[in-house]
Amino acid sequence: MKASYNELQGLCRKAFIGMGFEEGDAADAADMVAWMQCFGLGGLAALNRGLDFLLTDDPDEMPSVLYQDGDLAVVDGHGQSVLRSSTLALELGFAKARARGLSVIKIRHCHNRQLIMGYLARLAGRGMNVTAFWRNAEHPPTEQVVGFQANSSVPEIRVYAVKEVPEENEPNDGITLVMANHVDLLPAMRSDYRYDVLARHNESDLLACRHRSLAEGIEVDEAVWERLKHLATRMLVEATEASREGAGAGTNDND
Amino acid sequence: MLEYRYPIAGTVPLRAAGETMDLERLGSLPASRLSFVRSLVRQMARQRWQISTARFDLDAQGHGVAIYRLQTPQGRYHGVIFSQQLADDQRSDRVIAQAWDVTFGVIEGDVDDALLEQMAANVPLQEAGRQHPRLLVLSRANRSLRNFAHFVESLSAGQQPDPAWLTRVGYLYRTTAVYGNGKFGIADFVRLQDNPDFHRPFSAQMLAVYLLRHFSIEQVEHIARCQAPEQAVPMATELRRYLGIGNSTGLGMAPFLINHPQLIQQWVTCRETALALALGQTPDEERRQRLIALTRRAMRHLDQTVTEDAEQGERNAAVVAALPEVIAWLEEVPLEETLWPQLAAWSARTLPLEAQELVNTLLIELYPEQVDPLEDQMGIEERLELTPDMPLVRLKQLIETHYDWALAEDFEAPESRYWFWYRSAEKEEPRLGVRGREPGAEKELSLAIAPRVHHTHGVLSEFLEANPRALVVEFLIAHPRHKDIVRRIQTMAETPYGEIRANLWHHEMKPMHLLRTKLSFFGAGRFDPKSDRWVRITLFQGAPLVEEINAEPRDLAEVDDWSFPLEPEGVMHAPRQEVGETS
Repeated sequence: MKASYNELQGLCRKAFIGMGFEEGDAADAADMVAWMQCFGLGGLAALNRGLDFLLTDDPDEMPSVLYQDGDLAVVDGHGQSVLRSSTLALELGFAKARARGLSVIKIRHCHNRQLIMGYLARLAGRGMNVTAFWRNAEHPPTEQVVGFQANSSVPEIRVYAVKEVPEENEPNDGITLVMANHVDLLPAMRSDYRYDVLARHNESDLLACRHRSLAEGIEVDEAVWERLKHLATRMLVEATEASREGAGAGTNDND
Repeated sequence: MLEYRYPIAGTVPLRAAGETMDLERLGSLPASRLSFVRSLVRQMARQRWQISTARFDLDAQGHGVAIYRLQTPQGRYHGVIFSQQLADDQRSDRVIAQAWDVTFGVIEGDVDDALLEQMAANVPLQEAGRQHPRLLVLSRANRSLRNFAHFVESLSAGQQPDPAWLTRVGYLYRTTAVYGNGKFGIADFVRLQDNPDFHRPFSAQMLAVYLLRHFSIEQVEHIARCQAPEQAVPMATELRRYLGIGNSTGLGMAPFLINHPQLIQQWVTCRETALALALGQTPDEERRQRLIALTRRAMRHLDQTVTEDAEQGERNAAVVAALPEVIAWLEEVPLEETLWPQLAAWSARTLPLEAQELVNTLLIELYPEQVDPLEDQMGIEERLELTPDMPLVRLKQLIETHYDWALAEDFEAPESRYWFWYRSAEKEEPRLGVRGREPGAEKELSLAIAPRVHHTHGVLSEFLEANPRALVVEFLIAHPRHKDIVRRIQTMAETPYGEIRANLWHHEMKPMHLLRTKLSFFGAGRFDPKSDRWVRITLFQGAPLVEEINAEPRDLAEVDDWSFPLEPEGVMHAPRQEVGETS
């Protein structure tokens, strides 16, 4: 089925509130999902993959800063979705880059990392050059790099598989972010190791997709839509005769 | 950061936010020349929009489909209206209703058979349907049964209806929701940003209402003709003009005003700038006489305004009683350079709130050349943004400077936390509950800004004591639940207006003021509260008719001069017109 952008964003926000998100987090998370879906990057599918985890995440377990100095911060996402754990870590990186010209933020232990792109777009809109990098635990490992130029709403995205990597034991559940106040950080493929580009999204393709989404509506999976609608009902209060009386016009207006 | 577009005012400063954003004052605003209905009609006349009937398939009872084509210099649109039989027991103005006398929408572009079929299957269902992405507006309306019956009866008997009926209730139909911006699958507002016809807020919605008004005239004449083909007459032009479209609005409008502070800021800034521009002009005799004439008209209009609500009735009567003093003042005070600021100062000292804002509205009316360009600044791209690198001590100062009104409230007092706002499971209708007495407070909507700001101020003051050099982002990492309100404060502190200065939890808070605030910017007249939570108003009463716009009038000032309409006189004794003859 087709939905509008505003409708998708609104339903997601209500569903996130229904899941126990704070108002601001719910609005941000909804923006992140709707942004991806609008650009044809599968925001709803990404959300759906992480939805069961989200429902069991402890909303009181907030991300914590493990280390920070003027240029760098390491944040523990406590295994939560980036929808819950990333926005303030990103804002921390933004503040540091504004002060120091460049910052590096590492968020450890988070999932649903694709969804972070929508918030990166927001930071780019505020004049920051942003690049995010993460690696998926597949064989061979895949790496994804997303780069936004300052004041651009559209990223350059590269996904590639790396055939030869030195052995290491770090879990692949983190994300690294680099922000620079003044210089571009767009991904460009160059490596001495073998790699296969699996996906590449350019600005013009993404903009065309957004244009289509706004003109024709955004294709959404009905099952996911229904699930979100159900979650959104958690924020609603059951009606009573008393509440019905005080809400507005009469139930019969033959006059 | 977003760039706010501040209109440049003259030498007269804008009023302080403490005065302008007071809820009771906002709840006293009348429609002005910057209201959306006025702007739309000016645009239609200036750009010579043409409206024609593409289809009018109604049976003798007026049920069926009508399609109106709108051609602007830039594009083509269609208003599609479905009229159906509605059982009396289903006629409700509440959002929880499931069927209506008419349902309608405005389509961007053409309507082919496939689209019409899709619309016929979905538009009558309203919220329960899946709407088309080229639909810009989705709406529905119910008949005023008494007016409708009287109009059909009179016209079919070859007589003009009594205009007094439209003075009591100014319409044949009242809308109960006019949806835009992506609701139920229709087009997102962002799609209209580059559309020269409908990029202004709510302009597409106002067009939909205007087309319904035209339909209501054509439909009632059609039914009268079907009932008495030999005898029926069309409605007299004065009556058509005096016919508006009603709107019934409940608490559903309130969340919009709180959730769109940047838009409200833009609207209020434009209105206040218009006032400052008017006050800064050098008065002349012609404009003084014009102001006196407008005051007389407004006085008669309010005198003719009927409401069963005792409080609103008293307010109207107080304005009507005060306006002769305004006329006397204008006639007596010498025509000095500072006449308008003197008038505003005298009015603020001596007149009731509604009369003060009426005088301001009429002053704005005097200077179309200065004021009208502001209508292009009523929109804004909305986004509340965080400034994470702001020193926390600066945020504290911002709160103490811009939100002193919220800090002044004692939220420990029971009357200060009396109400809570929530959404009902019934169609998500917003409702008010009494805290501690009614269920649902744990699902409260965070509409009351004042207590949130108050709470955040307390928490950040404590944090600041331990961390005097902290940045906002460091505070938020320690207290993430405050993110939403902090970015609102940071964004809105950049602007003079936007936050409505009231505690929406307070026992004495009047939701009606919130509704009127928004309705005045729409251009509502005949403000008729039915309780403290819902109101009926009239739009487009007195507005130029479709045939008048189609005639491409040369005198645009005359076309635009339709505020505060008066009951037409002598209509019932007008010479009899034949069917089909344009009156």
